[in-house]
Amino acid sequence: MKPSLSFVLQLPPSTAYAKLDAVAENLLSGVLMALDSGKMNISLFMDGPTLETVCNVGRPQKINKLRKAIEDGSLELLGGGFYDPMLPLFPTELQSMQLEQHGSFLWKHFKVEPTGYFNSSMVWEMEMTDLLEKHRFEYALVQEASLQDALGRTTPVSGWYSVEDKGAFLKIVPISQTLSRAIAEDDFHWPEIAEPYCRGGKTAVIALDIPPQPGDIIPFFERLIDFLETNELETKTVASVVNEQTSEGRISFLLSAGQKIGLPATAKTCRELLVKRPEVNLLHKTLLSLYHRAKDTLKDHELKEIYQMLMPAMSPIYYRDMQDCEGMRTPMVRWWGARFLLQVANRLTELVSFDGIRLDIADFMLDGHKYIWAENHSYSFLLDYFGGGVLRILNAKDPENNLLSSWRDDGEPAVSFLDFVLPNTELKASKLDQLLSDREGILASPFDYQIKRHDESTDIQLLSEQQVKIGEQSGTFEVEKKYALSATGSEFELEYRLKNSGSAEARGFFGTLLETGLLACGTTDRDILVDGDALKFNFRDPLIFPDARRIEIKDSVTDCRIRLDFETRTSLLVAPIFGASALAAPEALQGIRIFPFWKLSLASLNETEFKMTVHISKR
Amino acid sequence: MKSDLIDIQVESRGNDVELTLSGSLGIAQLSAVKEKLDMLVDGPGCFFFLNLQNAHFTSDHYLNVFLELLNRVKSQKSALILIFDSAELYDYFSRYLNIFEVYENRNAYKKSGTKKQLQQIGIHYGLRSGITISSGVAVAFLSLIVGWIVTLLIIISTQGHDLSDKQAQIIALQNQKERYIKEIDKLESSIGPLRKLGVVQDTTMLSSFGLIQDWVGYLEYLENTRREK
Repeated sequence: MKPSLSFVLQLPPSTAYAKLDAVAENLLSGVLMALDSGKMNISLFMDGPTLETVCNVGRPQKINKLRKAIEDGSLELLGGGFYDPMLPLFPTELQSMQLEQHGSFLWKHFKVEPTGYFNSSMVWEMEMTDLLEKHRFEYALVQEASLQDALGRTTPVSGWYSVEDKGAFLKIVPISQTLSRAIAEDDFHWPEIAEPYCRGGKTAVIALDIPPQPGDIIPFFERLIDFLETNELETKTVASVVNEQTSEGRISFLLSAGQKIGLPATAKTCRELLVKRPEVNLLHKTLLSLYHRAKDTLKDHELKEIYQMLMPAMSPIYYRDMQDCEGMRTPMVRWWGARFLLQVANRLTELVSFDGIRLDIADFMLDGHKYIWAENHSYSFLLDYFGGGVLRILNAKDPENNLLSSWRDDGEPAVSFLDFVLPNTELKASKLDQLLSDREGILASPFDYQIKRHDESTDIQLLSEQQVKIGEQSGTFEVEKKYALSATGSEFELEYRLKNSGSAEARGFFGTLLETGLLACGTTDRDILVDGDALKFNFRDPLIFPDARRIEIKDSVTDCRIRLDFETRTSLLVAPIFGASALAAPEALQGIRIFPFWKLSLASLNETEFKMTVHISKR
Repeated sequence: MKSDLIDIQVESRGNDVELTLSGSLGIAQLSAVKEKLDMLVDGPGCFFFLNLQNAHFTSDHYLNVFLELLNRVKSQKSALILIFDSAELYDYFSRYLNIFEVYENRNAYKKSGTKKQLQQIGIHYGLRSGITISSGVAVAFLSLIVGWIVTLLIIISTQGHDLSDKQAQIIALQNQKERYIKEIDKLESSIGPLRKLGVVQDTTMLSSFGLIQDWVGYLEYLENTRREK
């Protein structure tokens, strides 16, 4: 007996950002070709931007054909989030908006209300049951592995199962991963693999990725039709499978960490991404912060406008630990994500008519510590006073970019103004770069904060006693670190006052580290200027520049500029930050490390001061 | 660390400073709240808005903190306005609603009376600048300024009238000039045939130099007159 198969075709959501017109046109032709062959009943998922483009580029005749195919049951359009987000990561209102917008688009253009829920990342948490039932979904597609986990077995799982949560009910349909892989890879053993899935007249559900390159789409459909013709297979849409078959049983708990999001197989939930990658976590928390602020301060259509603007930033590419423009390992993707959120922040500022200085002391990162969020009209930053008085985010509002978007392969977050005391030895640039990268000699004890408001500025004064180790010698410094925010300008001042409260003289270097993600998207010869002249920097080898008064980094791709003005002559280390951004290029530039440092010679109870001004602007 | 216990937000814009407390606030947070509020009101600001909409108090001790804060703000000649509209908070502050100014949001306060706010700004800047003036002097100053403004307006209005008269004269003269030009053209065209016959000599075409017969005498005359100057 020939196995019965149900094909779920989906387009990776990352295609929403390149050559989408050509992709949509070929996709439409491919789907119609498959339907015209008379051999195929298919379930298709397209995210919102792809659907929009299909309707824009498709001629009415073709769109009508799709509508007729939906009416006669040979085509099923699956529902999901408009930007195909990993829904469990977001607040309920945003989840609902994603589902509503996708659903209303399908209704408007195809007069169909989807009954099946699909998410290309395949993440699932039990709370989804209630949410999907509210949006009138009848079934959801999940990974077979998660269902095997829930059932406590390793044998193939097919058919559908029921779940209930908070009084809501939903049918769960597993996608046969092994079989999907075998068919995608033209494994001629696929009938043997399919046999246990289709035992007892059941239908196996296969998910296939439509290739993202426009030129590969038509051949993909040709191959699929050829496969069906050769094997004389019967195909059904998932909706008809669910209607025809009876329940295979009930599941009490189901959890899926998803697929193709850069998580190891051992991960249990997609939230692991937030724990594993600080860059993803920062973007996520920035989105949540904007969401909460909008909810607290706006109403009705203004609130809806902000929610609407937040939706593109929920796209899975901003939360995946992946390379090659599919995840946050790519500098360009990090920049896109930051840009979406800063557009929302700027609009929110307009709507609440904010024009002064705002400081918000709250648990921004939801990790049990308080952080200080500071902003004026031209920049905003997140100050981690508990973790050494460093900045975790430094947003330039006008160019719409986060300056601290560099990527560290060791999983540590990029920071700025992380302070170091280093031994007074002959340090070569590469050695110094290594010390900074390894975080040796950091002053990272928690600070206490004071806020001092003045007429035209506000100071955030951080006070702490820091244990320092210079070579073999240990000591204690009283550190006063002050961020002075200007109410009207696009700069802030950073002042240090160090007092040696130990009994022995302290000799070494004191410096502060800035790990900027600027220049990761493209460089020129005049991107880094020291005292107004272009720095001869090859973006490969670190170098030390002595006696500088000013350093300026101008990023022509992201249109962003940062300038540090030092009150006294300062030595500067300029070094590249490398990391993997593509499988083919494991040593890709992820940003620039700047380390201004000064010689330190402090007798017991003596003190010294350092000062710099940080200007942030559009290039 | 005391500061780790509370969520607090401060937004400064011009004369307004909005402080927002949120979360559940009990005995454990009391000293931190007091310390941070004292720190934040210690600075510029004429109107301090204390937004408590998202705060939940589990202790009565906060009422004393807010009363002390009110005294402190008043001693700086500034105003403290509480912002909330929840029944729970009205109930919490019920004993002191006649002491505190309570509004549902900042805009509601701004719309509540311009005179009151102007007075407040006057008192506040009086303290900051050290210049305090009595109502009589203020009225006199105001009258003087209004007088100056009225005088200025009268001058501008008079000059405006003069300018429009001159404009009208210019237009009339221009019209007259155009009319004369037309009449001259008409006259010239009527004597045209006579001029062609040589009956009338056209003196308009003669240059002033054509009338000068004695060039030597003329040049001497010019030189003498220039020397005299």
